[in-house]
Amino acid sequence: MTKTQNIGTRLNISTNTLNKEDLPGDFALWIFIFAEMLAFGVLFVAYAFARAKDVAIFNESQLTLSLSSGVINTLVLITSSYFVVRGVSAIKHGSSKHCAYFLTGAFLLGGVFVCVKMWEFNAKFSAGITMSTNNFYMFYLSLTFFHFMHVLMGMVILGYIIIKSLRSGYSVQDYVGVETGASFWHMVDFLWIILFPLIYIIR
Amino acid sequence: MSAIFTKSMARNVFYGGGVFFFLLFLALTFDSMRVLPTRDNSQNITANVEHGKKVWETNNCIGCHTLLGEGAYFAPELGNVYKRRGPAFIKGWIQGMPTGVPGRRQMPQFNLTEQELDDLIEFLKYTSEIDTNNWPPNIEG
Amino acid sequence: MKYASQAVAKPYFIAAIALFLGQILFGLIMGLQYVVGDFLFPAIPFNVARMVHTNLLIVWLLFGFMGASYYLIPEESETELFSPKLAIITFWVFLVAGAITVLGYLMVPYASLAKWTGNDLLNTMGREFLEQPLPTKVGIVLVALSWLFNIVMTVLKGRKTAISMVLTLGMLGLAAFWLFSFYNPVNLVKDKFYWWWVVHLWVEGVWELILGAMLAFVLIKVTGVDREVIEKWLYVIITMTLVTGIIGTGHHYFYIGLPEYWLWWGSIFSALEPIPFLMMTIFAFNMVNKRRRDHPNKAAVIWALGTSVVAFLGAGLWGFLHTLAPVNYYTHGTQLTAAHGHLAFYGAYALVVLTMISYAMPILRGRAANSEKAQVMEMWSFWLMTVSMFVIALLLTGAGIVQVWLQRVSETPMGFMAVQDQLAIFYWAREAVGVVFLIGLLLYIWSFFVKDKSPVLA
Repeated sequence: MTKTQNIGTRLNISTNTLNKEDLPGDFALWIFIFAEMLAFGVLFVAYAFARAKDVAIFNESQLTLSLSSGVINTLVLITSSYFVVRGVSAIKHGSSKHCAYFLTGAFLLGGVFVCVKMWEFNAKFSAGITMSTNNFYMFYLSLTFFHFMHVLMGMVILGYIIIKSLRSGYSVQDYVGVETGASFWHMVDFLWIILFPLIYIIR
Repeated sequence: MSAIFTKSMARNVFYGGGVFFFLLFLALTFDSMRVLPTRDNSQNITANVEHGKKVWETNNCIGCHTLLGEGAYFAPELGNVYKRRGPAFIKGWIQGMPTGVPGRRQMPQFNLTEQELDDLIEFLKYTSEIDTNNWPPNIEG
Repeated sequence: MKYASQAVAKPYFIAAIALFLGQILFGLIMGLQYVVGDFLFPAIPFNVARMVHTNLLIVWLLFGFMGASYYLIPEESETELFSPKLAIITFWVFLVAGAITVLGYLMVPYASLAKWTGNDLLNTMGREFLEQPLPTKVGIVLVALSWLFNIVMTVLKGRKTAISMVLTLGMLGLAAFWLFSFYNPVNLVKDKFYWWWVVHLWVEGVWELILGAMLAFVLIKVTGVDREVIEKWLYVIITMTLVTGIIGTGHHYFYIGLPEYWLWWGSIFSALEPIPFLMMTIFAFNMVNKRRRDHPNKAAVIWALGTSVVAFLGAGLWGFLHTLAPVNYYTHGTQLTAAHGHLAFYGAYALVVLTMISYAMPILRGRAANSEKAQVMEMWSFWLMTVSMFVIALLLTGAGIVQVWLQRVSETPMGFMAVQDQLAIFYWAREAVGVVFLIGLLLYIWSFFVKDKSPVLA
C-alpha cells in the first residue's frame, strides 16, 4: 500500500511544485500528449513487429507510396511549426495581432497538409488499396489517417486560438492557452517527423 | 500557478478526446461495413438461414453455448459444429435430448419441427463459413 | 440529508441489494450445475439460470445507478429533485417490469415467451445479455428516459458541477447505446458487431463515466479534498477511458468475421485500457491520504478504495491478460473470459454501487454513519465478498488455462465436454468459495439491522 501511496504522491497533479518554467502550456495537455505518444509509440512498435514478419511485402508496397507528397508535407509541417513558435513569441511580447497572423499562417499550412494528404489517400483508394489489402497498407492507412485526424484536431484548436487572440483574449500575463495549442501542434508535427521516415523511407 | 492545470482545460480535453475517438471509431465502422461482404458469407443468407437464426435465438441457445466464441461457456462452441459433426448428427442430437444420464449436464428438449431443425442447421452451416481469421484453433472449438 | 427529495434513493438501494442477492443465488445454482449437470433439471435449465443471473446483475446495477443519481444530483445541484413523484413511479414501473420479466424467464419456455411478447414483430431476443422480451426492452427505454429527464431537469435548475455533467453524460450514453439492442440484422457478423455497441460501449465506455462520477462524489464527501482537484482528476481519468475504450471495442472484433485490421487496432488500444483504471487507483488512494477530515463512515472509505483496486485488477489486469489478439486466439470464449467478467463487474460496478449505498444509506436513515458495530460487520462483508470473488477469478483462470491447453493448444485436442470433466476440481472449489461470497453478502444485509445503543450522531 505504501508503494501505491508513493506513486500517488509523486503523480499528484494538485501540488503546486510545477511552475510555468517547467512545462509550457497546460499540464492536462501534457498528460494528454503523453498518452498520445504512448498510443503512437505502441503503433510504431506494432509496425516494426508486423514488418519483421513480412519484410518483402512491406518493401514492395512501400515503393508505391508517393515520396514527393510525403516530403512536401514534412516541409509544410516543419514550416508551420516555425510559424507557431513565432506566434507564441509574439504573444509573449504582447502582440495579439501578430500572434494571430502567425498562427493563421500555421493554420493555412495545416490546410495544405490536409489537401496533399487527401490527394494521396484518393490516389490509393482509386487504385483499390484499402486497409484489407495487406499489412503494410493497413499500417500505412491507419497511421497516416490517425495522424491526419490529429492535424484536423490541431487546426480546430489553432482556429479557436486565432479567433480568441484576434479578440485580444490573451495577454503578456496570460498566454497559457496559446502555449497549450502550440504544444499540441508541435506534437502533431513531431509525430509526422517520426512517421514519415518510418513508413515512407526506412526499408 | 494554479492556472497551469485548470478544470475547464481538463474538460475540453475530455470532450475533444471523446469526440475525436468516437469519430475515428465511426470511420473504422464505415470501412468494416464496406469490407464485410468479402468475409461475412452474406451471399449464402437464405430465407431458411434467416428462419434458422430465429430458431437459434428464440430457444436461447446462447444461454449455454458459444457461437464464434461468444455466449455462455457451459456447452460446446457451435460456430463450427456443422464442420465438426455434420447435419445428420446435429439433427439426431437435438432430437435425442435430454440424455437423462444422472449427474451429467442436460440439454432441454425443445420440440422443434422438421422444418425448424433443417433451418437451424442451415443457419449453423452459414455461420461455419464466415471468415473468422482462422478461429477456432482446431475443430474442437 | 440536505434535500428531502434525496430520500427517493432509498427504495432504489433496497431493491438493488435484494436483486443482488437473487443474482448470487442463481449464480450458485449455475455453479453447481457446472459439476452436477442435472441439478434442478428440467425445472431450471442452465440457460434460464444464466439469463436470470446476468439480467439481475444488469437490473440491480441500474437500480444502483438510478438511486445514486437521485441521491447525489440534488446535493450537487443544490436544489430539490425536479420530480420525486416521477422517480417513485419510475421505481415501481421498473421493479414490477423486472419482476414480471424474471418470472417469465422462470415459468414460461423461452420460445413461448418470445411468441407471446411480440418477438415476431421485431426480432430482438435470444442474444446474450439482451434476452429481454420486446416490452421489457421498450420499458427500459422509458425508464431510462424518465430517469434522464428527471436528472437533466434538476441539473438545469441548479448548480452545474463536473460530477453532475459527467454523470448525466454517462446516463445519456447509456440510453443512446441501448437503442442498438433493437437492431438485430440476419447477418450474424453485423448482429455481433452492433451487439457490442451496447455491451462494450456500456461497460467499457459510458458506464465508466457513471462509475467515475459516483466515486468522485463519495471521495469529495469522505475526504473533504477540494472539489477542483477531484473533478480535474475525474476528467483526466474518463478522458483516458474514452481514448482507450472506444477503439478498444476492437478487441471483440478479432474472430467474429470482421476485417483483419481489427487484430491490430483492437490489441493496441485495448492494451492501453488498464491505464485509466490504474489512474483511478492512484487517484483514490491519493485523495484518501490527503484527506482533510476523518469521516465517521469508515466503511464507505473501504468500499471506495476497494472499488478502485478491484476494478483495476478485474477490468485492467485480467482484461489485459487476454486482450492481445495472439493470446485471445486461444482464450476467446473460455473460462478465462468468465474469470475476467466476474472480477471486472464486481470490482468496477458492484463495488461502486455498494460504495454509494454504504455512504448514503446511513444518511438516508438519519445519521452520518452507522454504529461501530455495524461498520465492523460491513467491513467483514467487504473482505469476505472481495477476497472470495478474487479467489473465484483465480480458480476460473486456472480452469481457463487448463481448458485452453487441453482443448486448443495440445497436439491431440480433447473435445469440449471431455475437457470440462477435467476441470471439475476447479468448479467445485469455485462453488465452495461462492458460498463464502453469499455469506459475505448476507452479513452485509444483516449489517443494516444491527441495533446499537450508541449510534454516531449526525
